Amino acid sequence: MKTLEVQNLTKRFAPSAHPVVNQVCFALEKGEILALVGPSGCGKTTTLRLIAGLERPDSGFIAINGRVVASETVFIPPEKRGIGFVFQDHALFPHLTVFENVAFGLQGRKREEIQSTVFDMLRLVGLDSLARRYPHALSGGESQRVALARALAPRPVLVLMDEPFSSLDADMRLEMREQVRNILKTTRSTVVFVTHDQEEALFMGDRLAVFQNGQIEQIGAPEEIFHNPATRFVAQFMGGSDFLGGMACPQGIETEISLLPQTHSLPNAAPVEVAVRADDIDFIPDETGNAVIIARFFRGAFNVYRLQLASGQILHAFKEHTCLLPVGTRVRARVSAGHPLTIFHKTDR
Amino acid sequence: MAIPLVYIFLRALGAHPEDWQRLLQTRIWRLMGNTLALTTVVTCGTLVVGVGMAWLTERTDLPGRKAWRWMLALPLAIPPYIGAILHLTLLRPRGGIIPQWLEGTFGFSVPIPSPVGFGSAAFILIAFMFPYVYLLSGAAFRSQHARLNEAARSLGRTPWQIFWQVTLPALRPSLLAGALLVALDVLAEYGTVALLRYETFSSAIFAQLYGRYDRSAASILSGVLVSLATLFLWAEIKFQGQARFTQMEGNWHPAPPTPLGGWRLPALLIVAMMVSISLFIPLIVLVTWSIQAVFDPQTLAQVFRTGSQGFANFIWNSLWTSALAALLAVTLSLPVAWLSTRYPSHLTRFLARLCQVGYAIPGVVIALSLVLLFNRYISFLYATPLLIVIAYVLRHMPQAVRASESAIGQLSASLEEASRTLGRTSLQTLFQVTLPLIAPGLLAGGALVFLTSLKELPATLLLRPAGFDTLAVRVWIWASDGFYIQAAPAALLLVLVSALPLSFLLRREQMFR
Repeated sequence: MKTLEVQNLTKRFAPSAHPVVNQVCFALEKGEILALVGPSGCGKTTTLRLIAGLERPDSGFIAINGRVVASETVFIPPEKRGIGFVFQDHALFPHLTVFENVAFGLQGRKREEIQSTVFDMLRLVGLDSLARRYPHALSGGESQRVALARALAPRPVLVLMDEPFSSLDADMRLEMREQVRNILKTTRSTVVFVTHDQEEALFMGDRLAVFQNGQIEQIGAPEEIFHNPATRFVAQFMGGSDFLGGMACPQGIETEISLLPQTHSLPNAAPVEVAVRADDIDFIPDETGNAVIIARFFRGAFNVYRLQLASGQILHAFKEHTCLLPVGTRVRARVSAGHPLTIFHKTDR
Repeated sequence: MAIPLVYIFLRALGAHPEDWQRLLQTRIWRLMGNTLALTTVVTCGTLVVGVGMAWLTERTDLPGRKAWRWMLALPLAIPPYIGAILHLTLLRPRGGIIPQWLEGTFGFSVPIPSPVGFGSAAFILIAFMFPYVYLLSGAAFRSQHARLNEAARSLGRTPWQIFWQVTLPALRPSLLAGALLVALDVLAEYGTVALLRYETFSSAIFAQLYGRYDRSAASILSGVLVSLATLFLWAEIKFQGQARFTQMEGNWHPAPPTPLGGWRLPALLIVAMMVSISLFIPLIVLVTWSIQAVFDPQTLAQVFRTGSQGFANFIWNSLWTSALAALLAVTLSLPVAWLSTRYPSHLTRFLARLCQVGYAIPGVVIALSLVLLFNRYISFLYATPLLIVIAYVLRHMPQAVRASESAIGQLSASLEEASRTLGRTSLQTLFQVTLPLIAPGLLAGGALVFLTSLKELPATLLLRPAGFDTLAVRVWIWASDGFYIQAAPAALLLVLVSALPLSFLLRREQMFR
């Protein structure tokens, strides 16, 4: 039995509007973390809120642990779904202490049980010393962990997290990511995690679902999504690919800079686009080269060069941090990837 | 909310054409001129005084700014008609305290300007209404980011140019809001203009209702008055547009004060004069008379009569009607505010706007429409104190709606959602999360309604059952009969009782922390 099953989920905010969530289907096994990732406004947060019962779907159904919680005829309110929700702004109750916040979801249980559960949870997130504080006296990372403890305390079947790290500073975010993933794995929680940050999604998710325009473009393991993007959008969003124009020929794929092996069987002379990331491109300075450096971005550990080919095509390439070449240098660029590249048949878009 | 308003218009339109004819020929134009002149002068006057005082206490190194802030805001606890009573007793040509003193000093009667009429009415209204503008512009001065000034200076503007090009334009929304508040209050003001014998729509309607009992003429005048008020309301919404320049970001810090230098003493004198006129002199006079009243056995007996005419009874009547009105207004405002903040749509915003209409209906008009409506349709409530409470609720609903809206608006929706996902039903969420968190905001709304209801005069006078006296009514009746000293303890008490909710409200403001 799947812990979460979502089928043909559709939601519109106005009857005539384009659906914000459009025929979305996916399922989750127990203990799995699924990251919903996509640009803002792609419908990932709405999907999460539909699962939580904070919005009503227009069609489709949602089942948690085999029980239908939303369909055309059924709508179980959020408090009866057995979920834990971690909000973007953490939403700690300002009038309650840390202890009372975590205990909020435990109403109706015995006092000793509440006491021990809350302290177990606070120990898990490393905040048992702050139980008597009020939320306004917590740092961003602390309130983040209290929010997590509060969501986990009632032992929910499913944990839903809506961009939980977006309100934290960048360095804090990296630290919290690791801590939170460890906690979720320790408690064997089943999690749906929403983020717009592709790197965060790759780190947090056992699987990823890439959203665009209310639909899932691709769903799969992080490595699979990164190496074999199913669509041009996924290739671009996950790892910022450039698209190198080319032509299928009997020897392979002919591009402006290299001849590449053909992985798909394509008709002769079919126009294609090859997704190349900055780590797939290498170049050497060459007076008679095929490209010109038009910009360099120093990133500390490495340099990113922006190259322009004769046709006007733009490519990016990584170089080590010691390799400093002035803008305007003519170079010879080539595809240096040691793995097959993703090739899209170019249709008249 | 809409029923009284629509009803008044219907009555006005349905009035006999001859009545219209008569009024158009004789009174309306003069009343219109009078009302507009007073409104314009008072609005401009309060803007100048209010912004000036706010600038001095917020943006300069005026000594004792913190104390001045309180003293400049507290006149709100003194209803303008009490100011007018004091003005008259101090200045009236025969028997006034100042003319008498002058006569005693110089041995002959010194001619002084007439204490009644346009000038006096404008003076009194400005003196007791400028705190509205003062509070709004003070808050705006305060919320303005110091960086704005720094940015303007770095772009080559002098401090003088900055004041006109940056500071003042950013103040515009608050100034408009303040001007509207004052203008609508002037339209609704009855006590002051009646005492100082300057006829406006409000006092004319009151006279029609009270003396001649000509409901048809009163309806027509009310229709015109409400149209005028609605026009103001509409103009404010139109000019305000969507512009709400609030900039209280996390890294906000106040602009550095402008050094006054040699202007320090004159500035101090001006502020002290303003505070004297609108706070110290009224308080001193009231306190003196109250002491006199206590030491004069005859007056004391008059003041502290027992039974339904007793002093305790006036206080009780004032308190319970105002408190009940506050409770009702806040309770009724909750669903409206809830809908307009949580589910913003054309319909819910229209509902919230509709509740603002109360601002535009002066007390006399509310009284008139309630008299007409209840007399005809719900007569068992007619001539009960509940009618007064209903009038207060209708008139002061906008304040409650605004307070509730801001309280709910500050509450993040995710808090309620968090409660739902943690197993609470929507009703449990309301009582365990929402209400505890918005309670301070609701209390503030209630305090505001309580305060303004306590001071309300014309509707109370017109709607009260015979023998039902509140503090405001008693002050008014004693004063208009000439028993000023007798009225003083009640007036002082009214001011002190009003000062309590007022100071609670002021303490919530950033300016008074």
